[in-house]
Amino acid sequence: MKKFLNKPEQFVNEMLEGIYLAHPDKLKYVNDDLRCLVSADSKKGKVGISTGGGSGHLPLFLGYVGDGMIDGCSVGGVFQSPSADQMFEVTKAIDQGAGVLYIYGNYGGDIMNFDMAAEMADMEDIKVLQVVAGEDVASSPKGEEHKRRGVAGIFFVYKIAGAAADKMLSLEEVKRLADKAAANVRTMGVALSPCIVPEIGKPSFTIEEGQMEIGMGIHGEPGIDKGPLKTADETAQILVDKIVKDLPFEKGDEVAVLVNGLGATPKEELYVIYRKVSEILKSAGISVFHVFVGEIATSMEMAGLSLSLLKLDDELKELLSKPVDTPFYKQFQL
Amino acid sequence: MEKLVISDIRIILEKLKDVMVENRDYLIEIDGIMGDSDLGLTMSAAFTAASDLAVDYSDDDIGSLLSKAGMAMAKAAPSTMGTLMGTGFMRGGKALKGKSEIGLQDLYLFWDAFMTGLLDRGKAKIGDKTINDSLYPAVLVLKEESDSNSELYSAFQNALKAAEEGVEKATAMQAQFGKAAYYGEKSRGKIDPGSIVGKLLIEVFTDYFKKQ
Repeated sequence: MKKFLNKPEQFVNEMLEGIYLAHPDKLKYVNDDLRCLVSADSKKGKVGISTGGGSGHLPLFLGYVGDGMIDGCSVGGVFQSPSADQMFEVTKAIDQGAGVLYIYGNYGGDIMNFDMAAEMADMEDIKVLQVVAGEDVASSPKGEEHKRRGVAGIFFVYKIAGAAADKMLSLEEVKRLADKAAANVRTMGVALSPCIVPEIGKPSFTIEEGQMEIGMGIHGEPGIDKGPLKTADETAQILVDKIVKDLPFEKGDEVAVLVNGLGATPKEELYVIYRKVSEILKSAGISVFHVFVGEIATSMEMAGLSLSLLKLDDELKELLSKPVDTPFYKQFQL
Repeated sequence: MEKLVISDIRIILEKLKDVMVENRDYLIEIDGIMGDSDLGLTMSAAFTAASDLAVDYSDDDIGSLLSKAGMAMAKAAPSTMGTLMGTGFMRGGKALKGKSEIGLQDLYLFWDAFMTGLLDRGKAKIGDKTINDSLYPAVLVLKEESDSNSELYSAFQNALKAAEEGVEKATAMQAQFGKAAYYGEKSRGKIDPGSIVGKLLIEVFTDYFKKQ
């Protein structure tokens, strides 16, 4: 293992200390706990949006706390859920009287703790609704969408919900729009090399030289096909085919595209992939409204990428276009 | 005794703490066989927090005390079983909200809501070799006893017997949930530490009624 570390067990807290020092005007923490991160700004009467999950995926999850996206994030150890109590503290801090929406990925530990936090919030009369994002088409077949893992596509759910909350819509309405985004996004990933959890110190799985694993999750969950490395065009074709068939995306549809790097893959390669993605979508009669290329949801130093497509309508398009200003992501009006 | 008031609940919470602290090393040992051996620590931490909270609680609302005890547990022990205990007490407490005196029927309502909370939150099913497999049979017995207006102590004696049988049955089961599930067939014959916690909960209540 070669990483910039002091003590592995201090990895998450030292990362957070760095983040607070770098963005003192944007982020702060509550309850004396570095892992209860909230936006330094607040708007009376706005629905609060809270997320959370394990560390090791920056910019996910905490990187999207800021103007136009989400308001708070509870931060777990690497690939570990934060506690219900941390989620509850964040909930209390971001509630502006209009209730709080939880948006998080479909993982057992996170579900249990967010459910618990919602129950704790209920005891203090804070209204909480939840959206569980799960859109990885490789993680479970069609018909069993509820079992799918949440990966990079949650970015779109944050974006839509954040813009909706900024319009001062009600909690129910923000949830409806977040649900709509979650229902219309599909993702699939491919990995070339494993990642290392600092406290473990070595990879927990291997992908041999010359091999790739299609459909691998962002914690190294097994994919659907392990085989010889394919070309960029072949890889793009596999990802687009599977995603397009799943929703399905059809001729005449308009989409937003997200090509996400998993940590060690250079942006150059992401654009090589997008070149082919664009060509395939064009020939399928699917038009592209906007393209996001970069690191959105990573898996430490894993090499690989994921592709997400979000099917748009007028309502989603308007919200997707609104500006964002967070420490990790900025967007002008599209 | 057939009716409990707030001071009884305070003592029961203290006894629960004592029992979990006494069983700390035993729970660590049996959890270490197929789990991550933190159960003894988390149960001690959870019930110590609940008992400390009860000492400072000055109102006479039994439901509110039990709910708050659940919150305190979840905060003090953010592990799976800590969260499950927290959920159980919060749900059970909610079922008794506003009551300053409770009897067998209320206690059944408490345990029924507790059990529903465990099933909702934990997502494990009956027969998966978890705490559910000792607690659920006990709650079924409490329902029967409550329906037939039994005496408190004898009702809980029967519930405890069902919980003990549940521990035995869970021991024979193949684990379907959590880390123990990785052991597959090899998990048969090994005690499920969660089922022991379920039995201990009912045991503390039963013992308290005996002493009165």
